[in-house]
Amino acid sequence: MTIQFDAVTLTFGKHKIFDGLSLKFGCGKIFGVTGANGAGKSTLLKLAGKIINPDSGKVTFPDEKKIAALSPEMKLYDGLTARENLKFFARLRGKILSDEKISELGRRTGLDMKTFGDERTENFSTGMRQRLKFAILLAVDADIWLLDEPTANLDDAGRENFFAEIQAAKPEKIILLATNDKLEADICDEIITLPL
Amino acid sequence: MKLSRCRFDAVSAIVRKDFLLNLRRRATFAAMMMFALTATASLSLSTGGALLDEKFLAAILWVVIFFAAGAGIAGTFDDEAQAGTLPTLKLYGDAQAILFGKMFVAFLSLVALSTFILPIFLILFDVGVEKIFLLLVTVLLGLIGLSAAGTLTAALTTSAAVKGGLFPILLFPVTLPIFLPAIRLTEISFTVAPVDSSLLVVVAAFDAILILAASILYDYL
Amino acid sequence: MNKIIFLLTAAIVVAIIFFVPPIKGLGELAKIIFFHVPTAWVAVVAFFSSAFFAAKFLRTRDFSADELSARAAKLGFVFVLLSTISGAIFSKLTWGAYWNWDPRQTTIFVLILIYGAYLTLRAAVTDEKIRAKVSAVYSLLSVLTVPFLVFVLPRMYFSLHPSPISSSGVEMDSAVVIVLIAALIDATLIFIRLMRKGD
Repeated sequence: MTIQFDAVTLTFGKHKIFDGLSLKFGCGKIFGVTGANGAGKSTLLKLAGKIINPDSGKVTFPDEKKIAALSPEMKLYDGLTARENLKFFARLRGKILSDEKISELGRRTGLDMKTFGDERTENFSTGMRQRLKFAILLAVDADIWLLDEPTANLDDAGRENFFAEIQAAKPEKIILLATNDKLEADICDEIITLPL
Repeated sequence: MKLSRCRFDAVSAIVRKDFLLNLRRRATFAAMMMFALTATASLSLSTGGALLDEKFLAAILWVVIFFAAGAGIAGTFDDEAQAGTLPTLKLYGDAQAILFGKMFVAFLSLVALSTFILPIFLILFDVGVEKIFLLLVTVLLGLIGLSAAGTLTAALTTSAAVKGGLFPILLFPVTLPIFLPAIRLTEISFTVAPVDSSLLVVVAAFDAILILAASILYDYL
Repeated sequence: MNKIIFLLTAAIVVAIIFFVPPIKGLGELAKIIFFHVPTAWVAVVAFFSSAFFAAKFLRTRDFSADELSARAAKLGFVFVLLSTISGAIFSKLTWGAYWNWDPRQTTIFVLILIYGAYLTLRAAVTDEKIRAKVSAVYSLLSVLTVPFLVFVLPRMYFSLHPSPISSSGVEMDSAVVIVLIAALIDATLIFIRLMRKGD
């Protein structure tokens, strides 16, 4: 199972972000993607997930594999409760979550479902939303994780939880992590630095 | 089989999710209803007492439904794009499941709209319905096509990031094959004239064509 | 190609003025039909061309196909306007009114609406990748109305418009037929020439 970039070129307006980029990502490692703001870290993740297509070149993507992602661009439904959000996104992937499973996901991500589960997320802090997104990531059971600054709004305990989960998940997933954070970069096995 | 099962799950999840959200935030829905009510009332008021023929009444009914539907379904994807939930929905949801989920939501809200506005329309314009069953079937068939074309057009305007005004302009010519026969059928339902069932076939056929086209074209947006 | 088109056009104009007999009871102005029919034909050809290149763009993501689709639509819009105006004049002469929502008038009016909506959409989107994509989708969605306009609409409403293919040829003077066919070819050549502008 690999994601492969072959001579990928992408332009936004007049600005050429990638010009003949070739890369390969496989299982068992955390691939860190670093680079200055505007270097195209998030864009690289979107290409890897086939959320956008290159102008030329090819991104080869394993068939039938499912993606999950954490990104500041991806918001949750503020009109729904934490539990409803979690159930909804799992359901989109054909999974029905039991109450025990929800409590377990809450424990693993540090979001107390007894207290906050039935509260609408519009009242949540950024950190709590991030924990909920993290719980969704774990709930959908994907093969590919695309993580864009995943711990940016988490406190120390939240980071510890996250790092433990990502290490545990590593062997059977393709994990791409876009970051400029020292601690996040430290858990990566391989770092790709994008030039501006 | 497993795939289709998963899609059905996803479609029903989207329908339920939108239903819950609409129930909690009634703004869009209320706007659609109020639009229909205002349009109907102002037309009835300004033509008050005048004897209007069935053709004209049928046309008015569909014009009201068209523009109220515009107010209701133009934001199908725009609301999610503005709230920032669209990328999340697109990532976790299968594209076809999203399209059909949204189409079904649009259809249900149009059915609710018609249930609300049709009796008011009939009373305010003092219309005598001769063939109630034909009227109901016509409205339902018309709404199916309108939801299919409307949902794709809403996806298109969101993808293009163009604002509201363009939606009815783009939608109208595309739904014309639904509207003209539907207006004729509605007119027939108000009179004792014989039913031209080939027109029902035309509307149903275009419903199918629009659903199929929406399904194919959505993948390119 | 320019010379051929110029000569053909000149020849047709001369033929219309001097050789085609005046249409009975309608006067010289009725000869506008030699302008109306070819422009209507090109408007429809342009519509299908635009949809064809739109489909080609979606399949290949080749931006030159998008450009051709857009150009066909722009030309189509001009031709459909010319055809509508000339048709309305002819309608006034023959039926006594500029406009009466005859099925063919409805068809051509819907074409104006579609072309207008398509071009407005193009004007509203600034990003060229997105513009190409959404306008191609709209072009293909709008082409679905054609079977309705061609097959259903004329059966729903009684039409006064002469059928373009059937019997009419029999009653027409052979000079009229020849000039009309020449005018159709000429208009098509003009359309192709304009499509290739810039090559």
